Amino acid sequence: MKLFHKLLVFNLLGKGIFLLVFLMLSPYLLSQLIIDNTDEELLEKKEEVFKLIQKAGIENFISNENPEQGFGSYNILKEEYILLQAVPADFKVGQVISSEKRIIEEEEISYRVVADVIVLDGVRYLLEIGRSLNTIDKIQGMFFQIAIGILFLFLAFSFLLDSAISKRIMAPFNKIIQTKISRINEPQEFHDKSIRSTTKEFELLDNAISEMMKRIQKSFNQERIFISHASHELKTPISILQSKLEAIFRDENLNSYQSEKLMDMQDTLQKMKKSVNALLLISKVNNAQFLKTETVDVKLVVEEIVEDWIEIAEEKDIVVKIGKIDPFIFSETNASLCQMMIQNALSNAVKYVQDGGEIILVGTKKEDAYELILENDGEGIDEDLINQVTNGLVFLKDVTKEKSGFGLQIMYKVALFLGVSLEIGSLKGKTRVCFRFPVEPQQG
Amino acid sequence: MRILLVEDERSLAKEIHDFLQSEQHVVDAVSTKKAASENLAVNSYDFVLVDLGLPDGDGLDLLQEMGRYQQDASVIILTARTEVDDKILGLESGADDYLSKPFSLLELKARMQAILRRKSGWKKDVIQLAGFEIYLNEPLISFEGQDIKLTKKEYILLQFMLINKNRVLNRFQLAEHLWGDHLDDDYQSNYIDVHVKNIRKKLGNYGPVDWLETVRGLGYKIIA
Repeated sequence: MKLFHKLLVFNLLGKGIFLLVFLMLSPYLLSQLIIDNTDEELLEKKEEVFKLIQKAGIENFISNENPEQGFGSYNILKEEYILLQAVPADFKVGQVISSEKRIIEEEEISYRVVADVIVLDGVRYLLEIGRSLNTIDKIQGMFFQIAIGILFLFLAFSFLLDSAISKRIMAPFNKIIQTKISRINEPQEFHDKSIRSTTKEFELLDNAISEMMKRIQKSFNQERIFISHASHELKTPISILQSKLEAIFRDENLNSYQSEKLMDMQDTLQKMKKSVNALLLISKVNNAQFLKTETVDVKLVVEEIVEDWIEIAEEKDIVVKIGKIDPFIFSETNASLCQMMIQNALSNAVKYVQDGGEIILVGTKKEDAYELILENDGEGIDEDLINQVTNGLVFLKDVTKEKSGFGLQIMYKVALFLGVSLEIGSLKGKTRVCFRFPVEPQQG
Repeated sequence: MRILLVEDERSLAKEIHDFLQSEQHVVDAVSTKKAASENLAVNSYDFVLVDLGLPDGDGLDLLQEMGRYQQDASVIILTARTEVDDKILGLESGADDYLSKPFSLLELKARMQAILRRKSGWKKDVIQLAGFEIYLNEPLISFEGQDIKLTKKEYILLQFMLINKNRVLNRFQLAEHLWGDHLDDDYQSNYIDVHVKNIRKKLGNYGPVDWLETVRGLGYKIIA
């Protein structure tokens, strides 16, 4: 997951959790707030009623003729009511605010009620003012909906704002990663150019990566110069020796003894030449001295290589079968190295498979890779040997076989250079070499 | 043909010079860029074989001078350098081929002939041998009008032996011509025997192939 997305998700989660807790508590908080507010209003109304009674006299509310019959009033929707009635002398004095149920016109309604006892002319009167809880619930529901709306709007707005800010803050970091690491396949492709940033940490990162890349680049260049010189120093004497040997071979007066000795010398020279070439090739591949600008039709390459080797295989009674090979174009690669890599796998198989054996090649296009599998019933490659190759050893210590070749190492190094994943596995009586070519993601 | 050889390694230059002379060519061998420039200015050459690493400069510079004086000459770069850029630069500067050291002199001869054939555009470059017609410009061989099917490798091998007819070619030279330097295989040279055997078998169905001789202990030779 990208850091940018991670930051957004964490921000959103943090705010989301906070809002969730708030939403869970909000019914209680809102209810408390509204009830407190209602209580306050009821108390104010109670004071107003007191003042009104004192001013107008109790007889305007309760008749002297029939004092047991109190005064009651409620509005048309029964949202509020006032009750004033005489109570016994021992009735407890004091103000009470509570939620109560009252029956008005045979309808039970919940009210928030302020009740108080007032004493007028030695008579105690109970004054109750109530407001319907339904009204309070409605207000609470309305407030809750508004709160949810505002909160979600806040969440969305804050997400957009976070996204824009994070994008802006992370822009130099992304540029550093893209221009100085992701797009740099080989050290030679690196061009030192500072990425502007107002964030100290990114500046430090940019400088550190640039310094590191410059060191790698310098080391690569030194290696390249060394390889070039070593190549010249090694190949020129071999070239001289080879041409001199060929000149001697052209002498028609050579006797068989001399010819035989010359052939031995040429044999040794060829081995030396091969070793030098193989070592230089490995160094050049390691040093990324090959261009990757070509495209390769893998199916065609397989067919050509099989055509080249099928008769050599037949000489050993080895059957080379081409199974289903899906078409695949491997782009931005080096054609000769790619061919060499596949050819080495097949030539090795032909070399080590027992007489009468079988080699099968299958190419399958998968979602994330193209798999070219070469399977044979050869004796397999020792695991220790494979480990040595994958650990980058060039001169292998093989105790089980007398091998002096560099085929496996070249195959591995070339695969690594071309970005092809190479898996070599040996099971009883079967050796499996699998090249996994990267597949470019589909556009659109 | 008149050939200019620019090679500072005197010992190697002498071998190339002697070989080309034995092939009936006139060879001017020089070891510096300056001497090469002088020769290019006054003489007309069919071929220029140039080493890149010269004591007084880069052999690639000579290719530009050739544009002025030797527009018809074919160029083969001979070098022990390994950089890909050099190879590309050389070919882009007008070189016709690029031969990495160490190389066989017979390989040099084959490359020169291939360039000549390519430049002459002579489609009917056919060698007739004991009733067989072997085309040098296309992978085709026929016997009394009947086409014979050979694999690409077998055809390349036969063509290389024909170019160097009457000369013993050992298995290393043949293998190197077929697979280049980098096929890692100690037994690679033995595969040549398989190819030669198959050539004999395929051609033998049509006519005698006694012109393709095995020289015991050495290699193969086409007698023509």
